[in-house]
Amino acid sequence: MTTVFKSAVKLKEVAKRYADVVAVDYVDLDVRKGEIFGLLGPNGSGKSTLLKLILGLVKPDAGSVNVLGIEAAENPVAIKAQAGYVPEVPRLYEFLTGMEYLDFTADLYNVGITEKKARISEYLKALELEGREGDMISAYSLGMKQKTALISAFVHRPQLLLLDEPLSGLDPRSAKIIKDLLRELASKGVTTILSTHILEIAQAMCDRIAIMYEGRLLAIGSMEELRAKARLPGSNLEEIFLTLTGTSDIRDVVEALME
Amino acid sequence: MNWHHVLKLISVDIKSGRLIRGQRLRRYRESRVLQYVMYGGSCLLGIAVGLLVGTVYSGVTDPEMKTGLLLNVKVLFIAAPTLVLTYSLIFTMMRQIQRAGITASIQPPYWLPITWGEHTLAAIVANLIGVQLAALLAIVSTIGTVSIFLGETPLAALTIFALLAVALLASATTEIFRILQVRLTGAVYKTSGKAAIWVRFFGSLLLFIAFYAVYFFFTSGANFVAIIDVFASGQTTVWFIPYLWLGMALFSFMNSRIVDTALFLLGALAFLGALFTVAVKLNSRFGLYEPPAIRISREAYAPRPSIWSRLGFSLPEAAIMRKDFRAFTRRRELMYFFVLPILITMIYVMSLTRTPYFESSSVLSAMILLVPGASMAPVAAESLVKCKFAFIVIFSCAVTLACSIVGILIVRPSPTLMLAALIESIFLIISLSAVSLGAGIKGASFVEVPRPRMISPRAGLINTITCALLAGVILAPLIPYAGAMLGLLDPPSQSYTSLALAVSGAIAAIVTYGFYRIAVKNAEDLLAEVDT
Repeated sequence: MTTVFKSAVKLKEVAKRYADVVAVDYVDLDVRKGEIFGLLGPNGSGKSTLLKLILGLVKPDAGSVNVLGIEAAENPVAIKAQAGYVPEVPRLYEFLTGMEYLDFTADLYNVGITEKKARISEYLKALELEGREGDMISAYSLGMKQKTALISAFVHRPQLLLLDEPLSGLDPRSAKIIKDLLRELASKGVTTILSTHILEIAQAMCDRIAIMYEGRLLAIGSMEELRAKARLPGSNLEEIFLTLTGTSDIRDVVEALME
Repeated sequence: MNWHHVLKLISVDIKSGRLIRGQRLRRYRESRVLQYVMYGGSCLLGIAVGLLVGTVYSGVTDPEMKTGLLLNVKVLFIAAPTLVLTYSLIFTMMRQIQRAGITASIQPPYWLPITWGEHTLAAIVANLIGVQLAALLAIVSTIGTVSIFLGETPLAALTIFALLAVALLASATTEIFRILQVRLTGAVYKTSGKAAIWVRFFGSLLLFIAFYAVYFFFTSGANFVAIIDVFASGQTTVWFIPYLWLGMALFSFMNSRIVDTALFLLGALAFLGALFTVAVKLNSRFGLYEPPAIRISREAYAPRPSIWSRLGFSLPEAAIMRKDFRAFTRRRELMYFFVLPILITMIYVMSLTRTPYFESSSVLSAMILLVPGASMAPVAAESLVKCKFAFIVIFSCAVTLACSIVGILIVRPSPTLMLAALIESIFLIISLSAVSLGAGIKGASFVEVPRPRMISPRAGLINTITCALLAGVILAPLIPYAGAMLGLLDPPSQSYTSLALAVSGAIAAIVTYGFYRIAVKNAEDLLAEVDT
């Protein structure tokens, strides 16, 4: 019998500090199954720590993290097995070829040989890496490394995708493929948590968006809900973001630089 | 523990050797057969040695001699674990030193479903693969083959087991040291701020001194048999050290003390388990640790004219020279260029040989000077070469001066010889700096992976050979002095010394001018390439 979870990710009163720095400040979060959830915030606002908490890589100082029905503190490896993660900087094994790396990760995710071969070939072709899979990763451009990291996150058909700036370095065609793929996966019940600084992407792709600032969640909701919260009807995500995070003094800064 | 994951991780770790070997980055191909030839060859070599020793033993008819031979072989068996422990520690630690520069690239992908236990076990096993494993296979094959002739199969089986276990002990120890080293040096850097540069300098110096102290210890008359004797007799005295318990188990077994054998064996295995647990705990705590950035200054940004600007260099030239100097003091791999001259002087003192070394510093420093970033500067080729050349010459002269003072104090040469040597050093520094600079620009490699390089290995090799040949040509007028030192010729006259120095200086000037122009041409090509 398959258990159906309404929440893919549930955080309760989660806090995490690094020495004097509060990375995550008693956050409550509920990400629904099959949702594309955007995580926005300035640099150092705690987005990456939140993703690491969800993946069980970092233990919270307080609160609980439940992912796909599994307590992160109890079985992080089980969560990793069901999740696909693309870090902000794709640190891959540079000494492997692209194919060796994908083969390695697919094996660790326990993907059968036939499926592995078919899926990897499919993704390599779609993202135009075909013909370069035999090169060592150290010879790849940033975009090619990003594509390799994305394929390795998708290869085991995960139930949860944690993507930190997934489209960085990608050419427009590949970026479009990934965006469409995420939509397709969402329609099949795969949950995606997307951390990005590109607000247009977040606005266009995400069902709901959370804005983080200094470890706290300032606002969560759909675009309409965020507009209402910021009292900016008809505004775009950039205006909402700058209003909520209190960084709307940009005109003054630019003028100072031009002096 | 998922053994499938462990095997996959080991196979990946083995491939990290591509970074150490610096293989071609594109279209990497390797022969799977060749990978195993070394191990097969080691086994065959071990069996051949075993057959040879066994045949010699069988051929001995004198009972007394036969007993003596058997005893010697048994002593070798007992000492083998400690010997293997020692060389495994050295080899695994050397491998870690080799990999130190590429740590970021071999950090485990922490988001994959692997445990720290699997990662640690794979690292410990993979650390032994290569020369260590080949040597171990050779020893094990020899012991196995010899034991058949000696009729000591049980002792041999136990020895082989002990050798495998002791190799794992060594590798687990290295893994613990590796994690601690990364964490502790990071912590020291973080707390020491600007002093981190000095910590790095003295740390590097101490590491090299320790390495050479061990080297001198082993090359100062001790022979292999003596070392074996020391190990075999010494371990019974310090039996309480857990690393020696496998050797003690063999010693007890040979003396038919079965209970002691079992106790030492169990103790050694428990110790191995404890080391593994510690390594796993440390990895899970610090495995993803990244050394913090060194904060050099807390002052507000306040540009002021540098000494180079006051010496007449333009702003871009002075900027590049300042950057070069900072690169020397702050980049780990470049720090060795401060360490090496001191080390060379110390080795010189330690070995008390009278080898001239003056020319080496300029060649080496020139080779690494073209650090990435130079080509980004809005600077003309002529200026680029000028500031690089000036920096190399100034740095090399400073090093030579320091080394010369030590040399003069120790060797106490005649004033003429001292002056001639110093003048020749200056000639070599100036001319070879121009040669190396030209080669450095031509062979510039900005690829940080597999390891940070400033110059391609091929260009470096060609440059070294060119420098050696040209140094020979520049020094050629002084050949009569070499003849006099060897007692083949009479010492040259004072007037010949002046003439020889003048000729040498003329050759050096021609070499400098020619290669300086080449360096400018290469710089123009490089900048044009960067622009496009």
